[in-house]
Amino acid sequence: MPDKTRFSSKQRKRRQAVDRTMRGVFLFCGILSALMILLIFYFVGQKGIQVFLPSYGEKRQNLWNFLTGMSWRQDRGVYGVGFIVINTLITSFGAAVISFPLAVLTGLYIVKLAPKRMRVVFTTVIELLAAIPSVVYGVFASGSITGLVNTIAGWFGQITAGGVGSLSVIFLLAIMIFPTICSMSIVSIAAVDRQLELGSLALGATPMQTNMKVVLTAARSGIFAGLILGLGRAFGEATAVTMVAGNAMIGPTINPFDPTRTLTSTMLAGLKETTGLDYDIRFSAGIVLMIIIVGSNLLIHQIRRRIGGVTNE
Amino acid sequence: MNSRRRIYEATTKGMTIGATGIAVAVLLIVLLYVFRQGIGLLSIDLIRGNYWSENINIAFEEPEAKSFEKPADIPADAHFSSKFGFALADRKDPQGADLMTVVYIDPESPLHTAYSTTAGATQGQHVSIHQEASIQRIQYLNTDGDKKTAGPARRMFSKDTIKALDESAESLVLMYYQTEGGGIWGSIIATLILIGVTLVIVLPVGVAAAIYLNEVAGKNRLTAAIRSSIEMLSGVPSIIFGLMGMAMLFPVTQVFGANGPSILLGALTLAVVLLPVVIRQTEEALIVVPQSLRMGSLALGATQTQTIFRVVLPNALPGILTAALLSISRVIGESAALIYTMSTIISDSPSLLQPATSLAVQIWAITSAEQPNFELASAISILILAMVLVLNITVKVISVRLNRRWSA
Repeated sequence: MPDKTRFSSKQRKRRQAVDRTMRGVFLFCGILSALMILLIFYFVGQKGIQVFLPSYGEKRQNLWNFLTGMSWRQDRGVYGVGFIVINTLITSFGAAVISFPLAVLTGLYIVKLAPKRMRVVFTTVIELLAAIPSVVYGVFASGSITGLVNTIAGWFGQITAGGVGSLSVIFLLAIMIFPTICSMSIVSIAAVDRQLELGSLALGATPMQTNMKVVLTAARSGIFAGLILGLGRAFGEATAVTMVAGNAMIGPTINPFDPTRTLTSTMLAGLKETTGLDYDIRFSAGIVLMIIIVGSNLLIHQIRRRIGGVTNE
Repeated sequence: MNSRRRIYEATTKGMTIGATGIAVAVLLIVLLYVFRQGIGLLSIDLIRGNYWSENINIAFEEPEAKSFEKPADIPADAHFSSKFGFALADRKDPQGADLMTVVYIDPESPLHTAYSTTAGATQGQHVSIHQEASIQRIQYLNTDGDKKTAGPARRMFSKDTIKALDESAESLVLMYYQTEGGGIWGSIIATLILIGVTLVIVLPVGVAAAIYLNEVAGKNRLTAAIRSSIEMLSGVPSIIFGLMGMAMLFPVTQVFGANGPSILLGALTLAVVLLPVVIRQTEEALIVVPQSLRMGSLALGATQTQTIFRVVLPNALPGILTAALLSISRVIGESAALIYTMSTIISDSPSLLQPATSLAVQIWAITSAEQPNFELASAISILILAMVLVLNITVKVISVRLNRRWSA
């Protein structure tokens, strides 16, 4: 009579084979997911660089002129991305200047000051702000923020192109990066050691002095990481920004009421054909955008190492 | 000193409250703005309607005037033709423009003998007149046998048109009308196809990758490299994914027969966008499954595969559901990547290998057109916001329950 409590060697081998196969499948999916980032760099890079190579033919672009050019005119075939980079940096940092203090203070209020029951409500508000799709912010911005900017311009005696331009982009991005910075602030403020606070209070500091000087200082590493994440989002935000940027042809745009042109709005606006120089050059702008974002990501690590403070991991 | 400290307390506290108040106000303003702009347009007609209007020419087999009784149950603002047995009324289309529609047709009316004269496959076929159609022109023969034209194309709306017909028309020659446009049904279907195909692709790959990272992988360099690559993927802006879709995934869809942007290409692209989301959510659910469950299963003689599929995954199911819901929410809201991969051509009958727009991309298409239609854009935004907010709140409820389950 066969022993039913044991597997035969044949069964055991089959069970091991199934395990091995499944492990292989899982490994394959893991590696496939990880490869995607490399494939993105490879394919976008290849298509973006080709316009500078001799093989592109007579419409070939000069890399130096592309990087330093101060005008982008499809009609004349002049493509310079220099002023666009400057505009992208101006609008993104402008948005961060408005959004960062508000986001940090909101994070502080939610974690340390808000009544316990309201805490859930406020975190939900932040999460919903993060969940609103870009295109909806775009509709909102082109309907209301442009009107606001137009009014502000009137106070200064300035004329706008229907409110679209730098300042509208800055206000829009300030709203859009707020939840990113705020949720990172919440996480890092909540991670601050209670002992630090108690020490500060015992030394005679008031609760708010403790919050502003001890808690925020201890949480600074996470807060700055949130700032960089927010900047990354501002650099890469496309749909909504394009709806209010106005796409200036020359620049850089210094006057906040003038139309501007960001890397993303350059890539998105007027997209019709899917062949030709005007299409391919958008990939080159994409490479520039990726370099800026990778650069800002490297900055996170640098800042974390330099500032130190409480680690949130 | 004491009063200075009190002032410091009050001002700093006030600043934090003010900042939070601004955040709440911004959310409310955005929601209110979109709601106020769009709610007037939101209707079943808008949701079920086609975006493109169709132009239809019809003539009649029995065009002669008869005499009809005005029925009692036609709308108060309608005008009835006692010679031809139909009623017209003035209406507004979804964009708010004036139009004239047929609201009633008598069973004996010449309008029931209509056949199409529009060039194309349907020419000569019998047509039943769309009740919501916008009548542009009615041509008729008057008592002298001359051809005359009435209708909005001659700046005559329902009252004047009916008056002209009943006073002097002997028979109808032709009628030219447009079916109603400006609807979003095509984009809704395209969005649903997009969600379905994207989930079918991303869920198996993402869950398998999460299982690898959490159940199979050792703590070595390869695992760390995979993890940080996936982490980097989540920092890539969506427009770059759009470029990637055209450069890398387009050849894949060509194998299936696509020759340009298509829903399939959009779905493949979004699958890559969503990989980090699905992997992270699944992993979080796998981590909280107690180690003792795995040990117990293995000790009873189950293989690792059996343990994963029969013990670990069923317990992580709420997490995978969360991943799916978050993915749906992202797909509904995604625009930049899809503008590249699905095009901005609004389609009324979308299919997998043809260009189409999702709801979000339709907003982009109609606001970047030469005459932007912000009212329609806001109406679609209300739908998108409602879906996205409901999905996100559901996710929140599920994750709260999930945490409670194992901590109890």
